[in-house]
Amino acid sequence: MNFLMSRDNLIRWLELLLQERTLIAPIRVQGLLLFQPVSKVEDIAFDFDNTTLPPKEWYLPLTETLFSVKSRDGHTELVPATVEREAVIFGVRPCDAKGIAMMDSPFLQEPGDTVYGERRARTAVIGLSCKHVQPECFCTSMGSAPDDPSNVDILLTEVEDGYIVQAVTDKGKALLPQGLKESKAALPAPPEPQAVPTEGIVQVVRELFDEPYWERLADRCLHCNICAYVCPTCYCFDVRDYSDKGKIERVRSWESCQSPGFTRIAGGYEPRPTKGARLRQRFYHKLLYFSEQFQDIACVGCGRCVKACPVNIDIREVINDLQQLGAKSGS
Amino acid sequence: MAINYEPKIIGFICNWCSYADADMAGTSPVSYPPNIRIIRVPCSGWVDPLLIAKCFWQGADGVLISGCHPGDCRYNEGNYHARRRFALLHRLLDYLGIAKERLRLEWVSASEGQKFTQIVSDFTRELAELGPRSEG
Amino acid sequence: MDLELIQQIRGLCRDLLKNGEVNCVIGYERASDGLTARPLFVYEPGEVERLIFDDTCTHNLVKYLSDKKGEKIAIVAKPCDSRAINLLLNEGQIKRDTVFIIGVYCPGVVETGWNRKGEALQERCQTCQLLKPVVYDFLAGQAPVRSTEGERYSDILEVESKPEDERRAFWLDHFEPCIRCYACRQICPGCYCPECFVERLDPMWVGIRIAPIENELWQAIRAFHLAGRCISCNECERACPMDIPLSLLNRKLEKEVKELFDFQAGLSPEEQPPFATFNKEEKLGFEE
Repeated sequence: MNFLMSRDNLIRWLELLLQERTLIAPIRVQGLLLFQPVSKVEDIAFDFDNTTLPPKEWYLPLTETLFSVKSRDGHTELVPATVEREAVIFGVRPCDAKGIAMMDSPFLQEPGDTVYGERRARTAVIGLSCKHVQPECFCTSMGSAPDDPSNVDILLTEVEDGYIVQAVTDKGKALLPQGLKESKAALPAPPEPQAVPTEGIVQVVRELFDEPYWERLADRCLHCNICAYVCPTCYCFDVRDYSDKGKIERVRSWESCQSPGFTRIAGGYEPRPTKGARLRQRFYHKLLYFSEQFQDIACVGCGRCVKACPVNIDIREVINDLQQLGAKSGS
Repeated sequence: MAINYEPKIIGFICNWCSYADADMAGTSPVSYPPNIRIIRVPCSGWVDPLLIAKCFWQGADGVLISGCHPGDCRYNEGNYHARRRFALLHRLLDYLGIAKERLRLEWVSASEGQKFTQIVSDFTRELAELGPRSEG
Repeated sequence: MDLELIQQIRGLCRDLLKNGEVNCVIGYERASDGLTARPLFVYEPGEVERLIFDDTCTHNLVKYLSDKKGEKIAIVAKPCDSRAINLLLNEGQIKRDTVFIIGVYCPGVVETGWNRKGEALQERCQTCQLLKPVVYDFLAGQAPVRSTEGERYSDILEVESKPEDERRAFWLDHFEPCIRCYACRQICPGCYCPECFVERLDPMWVGIRIAPIENELWQAIRAFHLAGRCISCNECERACPMDIPLSLLNRKLEKEVKELFDFQAGLSPEEQPPFATFNKEEKLGFEE
């Protein structure tokens, strides 16, 4: 059963949620759109295309303390990081919701990242269907859609007199306010993003490891971390212990395989010494390795990397090129 | 300022001229405030602006660099380089909102009696009046 | 797009590659949005038709010369980019006889993003004082009609005029969104250190924590390391995904270096950069 919620009702409901939970939503910060905890519902941006950084920032913060160790009077105490309150994240596009769900595979498999797990368990996801697609979007080629309810607890679809509300999970049903009117209206047809030829890409990529294509593509790559940081499914990090005045903190921050030296090992050996090797790693992880491990291509078609790359390395173009290379050499 | 606080000063003191002067202060009846933490360096030209910036960002209220008079550098030109670097660093820090008065470059020679003591006392007093560095 | 200019460039590159004078040409081609430009590396004479040059060619290609050391390269260089070539020559990073500089007369470039092309020239172009490159082996195109006047530092003066705590808050606010992607460093021709100070973990100057204080330390010291070397191509600001106004920082130091030492980076390959030299008589405010 779907419901209808007016814009005013939505605001009132969010205000109610804000009283008992942490509410994370897209807000405008100096011209950027970022998912951040809000203190007032008025700060939320309701009309937006998509955010600068994906909502993975909430589940895997840019920087966090995993635990700290305090020493006092000969007594040592280990203080783990905890998630204090229940949370709700509002305004998540279906592509980004798929990204969050995909991160569960590496983070929750045994032995499981407890900090991530706690945050995931205690955060409800309110998704927002896309009214428009952007030139860089290609979610339908990556197993999602502008109206895909698969990975959210509640999905809102904007219509003329408010939002059609789909309660997808029990968690979502429990979150809805009382007295919502039922809606028997048909959901509007979703907009159509561009198509990218991803059919069979996993098999094609398997054969192209030694192609000179990668060094040529990497010629213009700057090896910054932008693509990995704006990506909803990239999750590499670095961990370091900080010690100061008898207290030790284990800090985890985002890092990416594109950084020179990311895989440098003791002794100075570099398994990925060339630019092409590093760039190839990113595409192989997304298209092949993640699929082999977790049966899903680690790309949701949000297009943020396409938009943000300063030298226009375009994953849609790369997939096209790979398909053509595969057709030439293989079958 | 009504705040009762003790400014934290980091001092990069060159080994040849300024440190000798500071050492002498230790054996004389005149004392200088304990607010300064002295780091002996081979030359004022050795001091990297990165070190200075790190001091401020880790909570120092003031930083003092003390070297030989231009022309008297033990390594001939170290202090000339220091002079250029800190002229620029002053302006950069000021631009970022860290008052110029918090970074001081002084020339002190080993034979200048209580100059070092005087500098530290003055600096401590000025920083106390300026107030502590706000967060950041 | 100036077709005559582009035919000149393509013809020249075809010859250079055919004769084996260069292994590779670094220029521009059309990006995947069909609107803006992106860097192009051409290795075969037959591929020169992909080369373009127009007002979306904002990238500073000199960055890539540091990746291609030892090879013979031809590079398309705008006037600002050519200053970066002088910088690399001056600092002994490249040899003059390994790079064939295809200078272009530049009418200025517009603001671009993916699938986005602005109308107005970029700020740096509006106050640019160079019409043609300062070093080149071949000069393509025709001298544009463009003003070389213009107050370069009005936005810097505005920040300088704020009271101290407002300035502090201004910068902390602007450094908070920094995600330390290091795109600013990676796109900069002047940042070519094999190990950047920020990667150093013993001693740990900045560390891995991504927070306003650490971000500011990173930005301030990078700006200082570029003082007297930055040629204000502004690519760092364009690359930044979080819209941090980096040119407000880099041009401030450019202004101070000009005032203190009467020096501008990259105007000649045989200059004496201010921090590699000194002057015995100058006072610079540290009176005896």
